[in-house]
Amino acid sequence: MTFLRSHLGSAVLEAVLLILCVILAITAPRFSTTENLLNVLRNVSMQGLIALGMTMVIISGEIDLSVGSAVAFAGCLMAFLTGWMTGLEVGLPTGLAVPLAGGVVIVVGFLLGGFSGFMRTRYQVPTFITTLALMTGLSGAAELITDGFPLTPFPDWYSFIGGGYLVGIPFPALIFLLAFGVFHVVMNHTTFGRSVYAIGGNAEAARLSGIEVKKVKVLVLGTTGALAALSGVMVSSEIMSGTATTARGWELDIIAAVIIGGTSLMGGVGRIWGTMIGVIFLGVIINGMTLLNISEYWQHVVRGVLILAAVLLNRLQQKA
Amino acid sequence: MPRSSLETVSLCKDYPGTRALDNVSIRFDGGQVHALVGKNGAGKSTLVKIFAGAISPTSGSILINGASATFSSPRDALRQGIVAVYQELSLVPELTVAENILLGRMPHRSGPWTFAIDWDQAYATAEAVLSRLGVDLEVRKKACTLGVAQQQFVEIARAMSYDPAVLMLDEPTSALSYRETEHLFEIIRTLASRGVVLLYITHRLQEIYKIADTVSVLRDGTLAGSVTKEDASPENLAEMMFGEAVKRTRSAGAPPAREPLLTIEHLSREPAFRDVTFTLHRGEVLGIAGLLGSGRTELLRSIFGADPPQEGYLTLGGRRIYPESPAMMKSLGVVLTPEKRKEEGLVQILSTRENICLASLRRVARGRFTTRARERVWAGPLMRTVGLVTPEIEAPVSSLSGGNQQKVVVSKWVGTEPRVILMDEPTRGIDVQAKRQMFEIIWALSNRGISSLVVSSELEELLEVCHRILIMKKGRIALEVLPSETSLERLFGLCLQ
Repeated sequence: MTFLRSHLGSAVLEAVLLILCVILAITAPRFSTTENLLNVLRNVSMQGLIALGMTMVIISGEIDLSVGSAVAFAGCLMAFLTGWMTGLEVGLPTGLAVPLAGGVVIVVGFLLGGFSGFMRTRYQVPTFITTLALMTGLSGAAELITDGFPLTPFPDWYSFIGGGYLVGIPFPALIFLLAFGVFHVVMNHTTFGRSVYAIGGNAEAARLSGIEVKKVKVLVLGTTGALAALSGVMVSSEIMSGTATTARGWELDIIAAVIIGGTSLMGGVGRIWGTMIGVIFLGVIINGMTLLNISEYWQHVVRGVLILAAVLLNRLQQKA
Repeated sequence: MPRSSLETVSLCKDYPGTRALDNVSIRFDGGQVHALVGKNGAGKSTLVKIFAGAISPTSGSILINGASATFSSPRDALRQGIVAVYQELSLVPELTVAENILLGRMPHRSGPWTFAIDWDQAYATAEAVLSRLGVDLEVRKKACTLGVAQQQFVEIARAMSYDPAVLMLDEPTSALSYRETEHLFEIIRTLASRGVVLLYITHRLQEIYKIADTVSVLRDGTLAGSVTKEDASPENLAEMMFGEAVKRTRSAGAPPAREPLLTIEHLSREPAFRDVTFTLHRGEVLGIAGLLGSGRTELLRSIFGADPPQEGYLTLGGRRIYPESPAMMKSLGVVLTPEKRKEEGLVQILSTRENICLASLRRVARGRFTTRARERVWAGPLMRTVGLVTPEIEAPVSSLSGGNQQKVVVSKWVGTEPRVILMDEPTRGIDVQAKRQMFEIIWALSNRGISSLVVSSELEELLEVCHRILIMKKGRIALEVLPSETSLERLFGLCLQ
């Protein structure tokens, strides 16, 4: 254990992931094919995108439970707006309607997240409460928009956003990797990112040093809302419809990935890189178990064990 | 640099139920070091926080260099060069030393990378500030890996990096060694010679004589006086801090028969206190005096088992025990009324009745069940014991005054039939009449053979209520005095020495 600690330092999770991949490569021959690995990357990218924002939210000492419902809501709103704009009354061409609708959906997502931040900073309503309310509210709103049935107004080329490939890589995965790069730089090398750490670590010290705590919190939650909306658009493209029942329970999967990646729910501690590893870790586990024909029920159990083990590992490392 | 000045005119700050600052008009000139002294809760920290823009005054105005100024946030105050180093450490543990020093002002790169932080320059700037202070620290280290003294210097470095016109230091030396303190004083003198306004809050008398040019005393939110160092004799300061109305109405009377009840033997809990030994007798009221940070509160919490000691043990009624947990000490008849009455002593949303019954539910209940009627019967006599008169014992305890809340805490514990009550600042934030009643309660308990160990910053109250007083300094019991043979001035001087 001491050997591990001195030579791996904080890279224990990376090492475990590597070992897991080696084991899967041996036991499940299809695992290490390029096709399968790209598939894993595509599968994790839509949740992973939100996990990047969630990492910021949790580091700043807040939480967002509404992201799953926000994905469903964004997809349904996207479908509704596209249908409306291309319909007889407005009559826009799809090439114009889809980008327009996408823009509106992402702005709405930002505003919804920003609303949680506003409630938190203006009225001291915990984000746990506001986002819990949004979680139910947005789920209901999605059903209201679609009237309970999937909306399918999209043109054929729309499937590219969620299912297409660019230079051989799934398009959502490219977006995810790009976003990862941006968030990595923002959190480590910009004043805004460092303020997020400062606020989560000691909010009063940050305030007394002239950091605009309220503004930063609203922006962090707003950004995560926008990411959830973007993810919702990609999901609607993948399934080519606005469906109110998609992305159920995503919020917990996403929070799990962030925590496995070493971010502390107490705020102030966490890394975007860690979240990347956490997201891939979960994706690989699910993929591997599917390839090995292990029941889906076991996948849930394993995920539960993983969350506890990762946090325990973190605590033990901190003590050492 | 031109000389600055900082002035207040009839400054007031109200909190619900109390007035923290009452009509304070004072002027601090640049080029001098101004000591600000007063008891805990006298309003020093409130004044500093108002200057720093952390809280806004209820009324009154602030003048900087003669011109009226208002700050709506710490950012505003910092822009005008007003910087504070607070008593409680305010670093972000997970950030580096450099980031903490430049918190909220990290330098950016130039050219197309202007959004990105310029780490090289940040480290260089932080290193420059630290070396100007003569402090050798690795600026890439995380703040949480530093010792307390090092953290204190990081805070001072942060303040210095603003190039302040007004610098306020709230007990900056509490974590520093002698050499480090000397070093800080040099820095302070250099700043003063450049015309900076320096406000220095301290409890240590020697420091006042060493560093200050003027001394201003706050008492209960008002300015009790402002004198030059030459006029600031210990007697003079004591009178300003505690007031002339220090007239004993009644002393605790003769100590009861010296029958040892609780002996504290070589108790240690680093770094708060070490090797503490003393004896509390049956029915005795024993006071512990000492400055903030002398380890008083920590000692009480250890005896109660809330933070068990690392070394040492207790002897209670001839039995040797180790205070493991509050539950254990409660069952042995040792209870604590905490300093933070509102947070630790009471459940604010529960009623007076429920709070009184909380500590003795087993006694109140028949079997495992309790009823409102049984609890009322239980609470009634206890309330009479402490003279608690409240029209509605079913209303939330938060609706009671501070004095009545304290009585609820005491009656809650009296219900458990304790042998020893540990009281931490029992008169904090309660009015004069309630204080008097508190003394009566302590004496009444004493007459019933219940001993009290009283920690208080109110020296005149200790002199009045106690049979004996121990003086605690830097985690040790320094000496013992008898109230009948000690004046307030002498006790004050003993605490400061």
